[in-house]
Amino acid sequence: MARFVMIMDTRRCIGCHSCTVACKVNNELPVDMIYNPVFTHGPNGVFPHVSMTYYPLICMHCENPPCVGCCPSGASQQEADGIVWVDQNTCIGCKACIQACPYRARHENPKTGTVQKCDFCKERVREGLEPFCVETCHQRARIFGDLDDPESEVSQMVNSMHTLQLLPEIGTDPQVYYIVTPGGQG
Amino acid sequence: MKEKHNWGWPIASYLFLGGLGGGMIVVAGLADLAFGEGELFSLGNLIAGIAIAIGSALLIFELGRPFQFWRVLSRQKAIMTAGAWMLSLTIVTSFAYFSFWPDFSPWHQLIGLRHLVAGINIVLGVGVCIYTGILLGSLRARVFWNTPLLPVLFLVSGISTGVAAQSLLAGSWPCHVAAGELGALHAALRSCDLALLVFELILVFVYVGMMRFSAGPVTARIAAQWLTGPKRWLFWGGLVGLGLALPTILYVLSPAAGGETAALLVLIGGVVLRFLVVYSDERIPLPGESEYYSRLPGPDAPFLKAWE
Repeated sequence: MARFVMIMDTRRCIGCHSCTVACKVNNELPVDMIYNPVFTHGPNGVFPHVSMTYYPLICMHCENPPCVGCCPSGASQQEADGIVWVDQNTCIGCKACIQACPYRARHENPKTGTVQKCDFCKERVREGLEPFCVETCHQRARIFGDLDDPESEVSQMVNSMHTLQLLPEIGTDPQVYYIVTPGGQG
Repeated sequence: MKEKHNWGWPIASYLFLGGLGGGMIVVAGLADLAFGEGELFSLGNLIAGIAIAIGSALLIFELGRPFQFWRVLSRQKAIMTAGAWMLSLTIVTSFAYFSFWPDFSPWHQLIGLRHLVAGINIVLGVGVCIYTGILLGSLRARVFWNTPLLPVLFLVSGISTGVAAQSLLAGSWPCHVAAGELGALHAALRSCDLALLVFELILVFVYVGMMRFSAGPVTARIAAQWLTGPKRWLFWGGLVGLGLALPTILYVLSPAAGGETAALLVLIGGVVLRFLVVYSDERIPLPGESEYYSRLPGPDAPFLKAWE
């Protein structure tokens, strides 16, 4: 069984926002909707001991997604390969899932009245392609793959390096792993 | 571009109306089963049903796709689904309970059946008051709501507003009790509401105090907004002053007069509480999030319209 995950290697991210644009253009998002922003954290510290980190965001495709449990219509769902998505035909736009998401990964579309979100480009990845944001990243800061495959790059990185999850205390077990410390050995 | 409030005034108004209606049918059901005085509160059940129906209409109005609202009933495991079923049933049972009372009602004499409906109303009324608190409290991302105190607060506030509204309506048509004989009833309702108000006042301060001093930075910031920040007028003036303390004082000081004023103030307090809670929906910020969104153009930037 596959378990799709993403690694954000913040050592490599240069904050160019190409992933944001690639996603918006290829997924034809409304002009004011962003699935994967790149946050700038910092600069922190006092010169000469300063640091700044870019945090590329995306839906965390949580192992324990709070946005699925709260959905009253069953539109918000999780596939066996971990992908969390919203069926646009059954979503009624109650916005409970937006309230439930700690990562601001869900967006209301005023035109359709529904809620939409990143689905890891599920049609592409099931054909063996990469999501648009990963394919476009010229620094290879976004790495996508199957955590259940011991040969995959993501599996080897997650199991050999020190990675962080965002807001793990909420209990969602997010499946986007961040490599933050220089050298990745934390 | 700060995250906008995903739930606004329709939800806050619904929370008030649902709590009000739920509280009213609990009061009527208890009065009927425990004291045999259901007749005094018969009109209240009609009003409660209307309040819950208006609240449910607001919920539907707030949806992105209002005409697909029936899908809310379709999933089994979500709290919102359970709530939607409870609301639908409660509207029916509160109207049904009212229908036993008018003289022309064909089932006016079926007292056993009426008691059964009263019992169902008590369970459903408590459920309607409390489920909204569980729904909001279960959203762990919204840290100010994520506490078991919220359903308790909503229940106490709902019952308290229910008692207040029933005391305003007690003895109206189709009840046959003369207005002069209601003195004892009003005294009983006042003591009841007084106890609830004192308990709610304690709950409110426990809630805000706990958020202020023992939880994370976001909850502490929201609690500070209530206590000393931009929401302080609403909190101290609207909720604590007008909605809780003043009716408590009125109930204590003037046993005979002032009952109506106090009851109206309790209703205002219920509205203010729901608005304060619904608009306190901040998340824990992600690293760099607020800076990022503050640099984005607002929703009325001209280039956004240029595409259309």
